[in-house]
Amino acid sequence: MSLYLRVFLTFARNSLVRDMTFRVNFLIDTFSSVAWVFMNIAFYTLVFQYTPSIGANTGWEKYPFFLFLATGLLINSLVQAFFMTNADEFSELVRTGGLDFALLKPIDTQFLISFTRVDWSALGNLVIGLALMLYALVQLHYAPGPLQIVLFLFYLACGVLIYYSLMIALAATTVWLGRNQTLLDFWFYITNFSRYPMEIYVGRWGTPLRHFFTFLIPVLVVVNVPARILARPFVLQAQSDWLLPVFGAIATIGSLAASRWVFQRALASYRSASS
Amino acid sequence: MAVIEIEGLAKAYRVYQKKEGLAAAIGGLFRRQYRMVEAVRGIDLCVDQGEFVAFLGPNGAGKTTTLKLLSGVISPTSGTARVMGFVPWRRENAYRRRFALVMGQKNQLWWDLPANESFRLHQQIYRIDRQQFDRTRDELTGMLGVGNLLRQPVRELSLGERMKMELIAALLHSPDVLFLDEPTIGLDVVAQYNIQNFLKHYQQSRKITVLLTSHYMKDILALCHRVVIIALGRIIYDGSLAGIVDQFGGHKVISLQMLNGHVPDQLDRYGELLSSEPPHIKLRVDRGVVPDVLANVLANHSVVDVSVEDPPMEEIIAAMFRRIKDEG
Repeated sequence: MSLYLRVFLTFARNSLVRDMTFRVNFLIDTFSSVAWVFMNIAFYTLVFQYTPSIGANTGWEKYPFFLFLATGLLINSLVQAFFMTNADEFSELVRTGGLDFALLKPIDTQFLISFTRVDWSALGNLVIGLALMLYALVQLHYAPGPLQIVLFLFYLACGVLIYYSLMIALAATTVWLGRNQTLLDFWFYITNFSRYPMEIYVGRWGTPLRHFFTFLIPVLVVVNVPARILARPFVLQAQSDWLLPVFGAIATIGSLAASRWVFQRALASYRSASS
Repeated sequence: MAVIEIEGLAKAYRVYQKKEGLAAAIGGLFRRQYRMVEAVRGIDLCVDQGEFVAFLGPNGAGKTTTLKLLSGVISPTSGTARVMGFVPWRRENAYRRRFALVMGQKNQLWWDLPANESFRLHQQIYRIDRQQFDRTRDELTGMLGVGNLLRQPVRELSLGERMKMELIAALLHSPDVLFLDEPTIGLDVVAQYNIQNFLKHYQQSRKITVLLTSHYMKDILALCHRVVIIALGRIIYDGSLAGIVDQFGGHKVISLQMLNGHVPDQLDRYGELLSSEPPHIKLRVDRGVVPDVLANVLANHSVVDVSVEDPPMEEIIAAMFRRIKDEG
């Protein structure tokens, strides 16, 4: 087993032991995030009482949209479980000088910072997301083929990596800003755009917004690409649909490379805090 | 053989100067004033393998900054440094496997978990063979007397116990070079003594190279033969502890015990009268006139007992720091 996998498993194990020590806190965390998800599902169920689909002729009727929603849930819960706490902690480590210890270890610092903690309570939403996905597929009487499942999982991972890249790059800016407590707020504002199908971004404001969040900060790719792989077979396939997955893969590599660059630059500028 | 070689090492920071008041705070949004702080101003130092060197200096002298530079935590503004042939701020894993840094004011153990869980993590990160790990851990916990605390969450340990665990975590991979930044800060005298004892034996048995900063003179007296004094970012003394007294201790303390408890008048003509608790008297006298004063006192007064001592090291160092500060 490679060094990195072993270290990650120990991090995951230690996090679980720690979470179990504060079990009430763990249960409250799980309960509140699951409750938030159910409120979301209830909200969209309500929306679909008034309209058959999100946007005319977009193909995003109730159950395809639930597949979209479930995909977003899976990605969000994975990001929350593995990276959110770490990115937040990273900002704090920079501010307090605790990053010193991470820099001493004979292991990639970005790996160490990114995986130190696993927020197991966030994985509750992963289960809800899977259940919602199964429910939607059953309602649509549709079973995806093996290639679709593989592609879906691949782009799910791409989505997680794009979110991660954005998050770790944002957290790294603390080195220059000195303090970055609005990280989570900013994260929420940006990722808010990715929660809806990209077809809704049309018109005078919508199109530039779609271009911005597809090509510059590619958060629209995150949920849209994997969700389309499962949901779009129910609507007419456009030729441009093939371009999006190709771009999604490129955007993932680009995001990772950019975040790595920002992270390394940040470490080079790190000045530690008072002893 | 030189393990640490430093030449012209300098580190300057740009520090934001914040004025008081709301108006100044709003002004600061648009235009900021910065000041350059030269934490380390071109130091040269060479430390041989197996040396235990103390870094002494007032707060803000540049001691911790130097240790952070040597650990590769920060990069210098100019100058060079090599530790075991490595340039620290390149942060090569081969280097990071061979040294350790312990900071008395920061902790690296998982707060909510027993120290043993953090040790296991270190075992993996440093790729320590399992049997070797068990042996080293048991040996270190045995030496520090904390074997029974391995399963207790770190947050429930006392400060002294926690510091011992921090030391163990730093030593599990058997580093060749150890940087200690105030490892006994805030500890009671017993805990301080235990840690000093441990460090002394550990260094002597492994012959590792240690650089220690501490404000406690007892740490330095117990552990180091060589002392480097750093002030205002420069090295102003590099030599033995005894040399400090010769170079900076300008006076001695003469203690007298008078016959029949009689304390004569005008004793202050010999030097500064430090205390007078009949029959005991203490005089501070310039080093150059000690023989003359002794001869005069013994010739003119009835003295039962006499001793001549150097003033406490803390006093010499404090006087030296004051002088450096005044001279700027």
